[in-house]
Amino acid sequence: MTHQKKTWFYLFSAPVIIALFIVVVIPFFYGIYYSFTDWNGVSEAALVGFSNYSKLLKDQEFWTSIWFTTKFAFVAIFLINAIGLGLALLVTNKFKGANLLRTIFFMPNLIGGLILGFIWQFIFINAFSAIGDVLNSTGLKTWLSTPETGFWAMVIVMCWQMSGYVMVIYISYLQSVDDALLEASDLDGASAFQKFWHVKFPLIMPGFTVSLFMTLSNSFKLYDQNLSLTNGGPYKSTQMVAMNIYNTAFLENKMGYAQSKAVIFFLCVAIISLTQVYLTKRKEVEA
Amino acid sequence: MLNKRMKKIGSGILLAGFTLTTLAACGNASETNNSAAGASGTDEGASGEVVEIDIFQFKVEFKDQFEALAKQYEAENENVKINIETVGGGSDYGAALKSKFSSGNEPDIYNIGGPEDVTMWVDNLTDLSDTEAANQALEGTLTGATKDGKVLGLPYNIEGYGVVYNKAIFEEAGIDATTIKTLTDLEAAAETLDSKKEELGLDAPFALAAKELWITGLHSGNAFLNAEFDNDVMKAFDSKTVEFKYGEQFQKYIDISNKYSVQPANSLDYSQQIEQLFSNGKVAMTQQGNWVYPTIASVNPELAENIGLLPIPIDGVTEGTIPVGVPMYWGVNPNGSEAEVQASKDFLDYLYTTEEGKRIVLEDFKFVPAYKGYDTEKISDPLSKDVYTYYTEGNTTGWVFMGYPAGWGEQTLGAEIQKYVAGEATWAEVEEVAKAKWAEERE
Repeated sequence: MTHQKKTWFYLFSAPVIIALFIVVVIPFFYGIYYSFTDWNGVSEAALVGFSNYSKLLKDQEFWTSIWFTTKFAFVAIFLINAIGLGLALLVTNKFKGANLLRTIFFMPNLIGGLILGFIWQFIFINAFSAIGDVLNSTGLKTWLSTPETGFWAMVIVMCWQMSGYVMVIYISYLQSVDDALLEASDLDGASAFQKFWHVKFPLIMPGFTVSLFMTLSNSFKLYDQNLSLTNGGPYKSTQMVAMNIYNTAFLENKMGYAQSKAVIFFLCVAIISLTQVYLTKRKEVEA
Repeated sequence: MLNKRMKKIGSGILLAGFTLTTLAACGNASETNNSAAGASGTDEGASGEVVEIDIFQFKVEFKDQFEALAKQYEAENENVKINIETVGGGSDYGAALKSKFSSGNEPDIYNIGGPEDVTMWVDNLTDLSDTEAANQALEGTLTGATKDGKVLGLPYNIEGYGVVYNKAIFEEAGIDATTIKTLTDLEAAAETLDSKKEELGLDAPFALAAKELWITGLHSGNAFLNAEFDNDVMKAFDSKTVEFKYGEQFQKYIDISNKYSVQPANSLDYSQQIEQLFSNGKVAMTQQGNWVYPTIASVNPELAENIGLLPIPIDGVTEGTIPVGVPMYWGVNPNGSEAEVQASKDFLDYLYTTEEGKRIVLEDFKFVPAYKGYDTEKISDPLSKDVYTYYTEGNTTGWVFMGYPAGWGEQTLGAEIQKYVAGEATWAEVEEVAKAKWAEERE
């Protein structure tokens, strides 16, 4: 890099780097410090060593929420990517209305998570039970009042919101697949499935890296829909980690303890997502 | 190739995002500077200089009326400027207040909830014993905000809750509501209503909104823990343990509520309970307080005029009573200049002790006043009237839930009640978990 180029490089990246430091890096280290204190959000914080962490190990509720979040994330990631890829394959076919469908599939993503949660809460409780009345099925009337329905309700809403988004990512990768390769495979007599599996699929592998990472981190960090849809209920069985941390911090006024939970949570998510990126990166091929 | 392009696009988006955040941050910072400059300008406290009072308050319901009052006060006192900011919702207010303090943008007047808040904010609260309002406060309304003999908060108003019932439906079913004093009476009434629910057009007699943890955990629980702590919020606050001395009756109350409720109770929230079910006459009674009147009136004005409050009693102990208490206190921040502290006190005195202030509190805010010297005939809505009647007749118990360990009422008791309602836990387990958590928090 020439000298001048370097200057421009730093000049342009400075705002980002400064912002990143102020809103992410510095608070992050502050957070680690606070996780060793008994800070309640107002009075002076006193250092308490590792006692927050040792308490954490015995906190049944926290580990339940970690387990619930993990279950949720795996189901959601699988379904969102399957549906998203399916939709992408559908709308990259040339037929009338394909563009319109793209817009429609993407639209749920434009609605904020909180509002989405409240709308779906209405659907699950009122619309489902109205259908339940007609069909005389009790299963449809108890939505959101049992742990299982709460879980699946959140999965449904998450899929509904995120599938359109990952669809757009997959579309961009699918469109960049070289037509010459597809033509060649046609000449070799490949079936539609073979074309997908052996030609398109390996080429859109980078798309998986991006989409899996996005859905993974979004599913783990989910808070807004959790809040508006179930608010952790019934009896905290659908409480995700973010909500558990928020409640510890702001309802029980234990900022230090909540922060130690956040640190552990960060480590879990970092390990899982880095592993995922590493694994999927290895599978990427250059066309 | 493509990968690279995507990365570029990605970093572009990130850049845009971060720029936005920085801009937003800048906006905030400059705002803070402005108000800081305004505040320091008044440090001299010289007459004629404008004193700015920043009020950060919690009650969304009376935001407009409160702002109108502030305008009026500004007009009458030319050297005072009042800035009001309102953030509603229990936990959100607390979180917002904390961030205000830690960002250095401290309000002059803010709200505190009870002993737990007082302990937390004690270094940031002024002694208000010398205000006129503190002298005029009704007996017992200052207890929750008094520490070491200092009055650190002035009550907003008093509120009460019980079983809100629909008088028309009770009449139609032939039930005399005035005779309902005990749990047994309440159960009998529910049974009668249940047997006639087709004719009365009811979905069920009762709506138990178990999804709202504050309704069950804070309010229902309070009604049955009151007697254990002698109705004294400070006793609850200082207690190392909770016994559930009247746990059996508590269970009975939840059982009655649940048995005669619209199901599934665990998915009933506040809006369904009040707006959809009660306001439309789909249930005849539900546990709530006088604060729901405006909501009911907005859905069904006619029905709203014909409702009342039934007791939540412990048989043989607190028959015929409802719990009445102070929901929120005004605290004054001592970290401001002398002039600001004085102006804040004057403003609160004006609000609660002058004739004009009293009129506004009663007629515009529609409060049940927590102070002496009000023309209580003017309390307009039926629920507040009932609360006041219970109060003057001495048929009230306290609000000890303000002295629960932080988060215990909702996150522990409320959640355990959901488990019980769903049949996932026995009542003994509910009590056991709640007792253990209380003891743990108070170690």
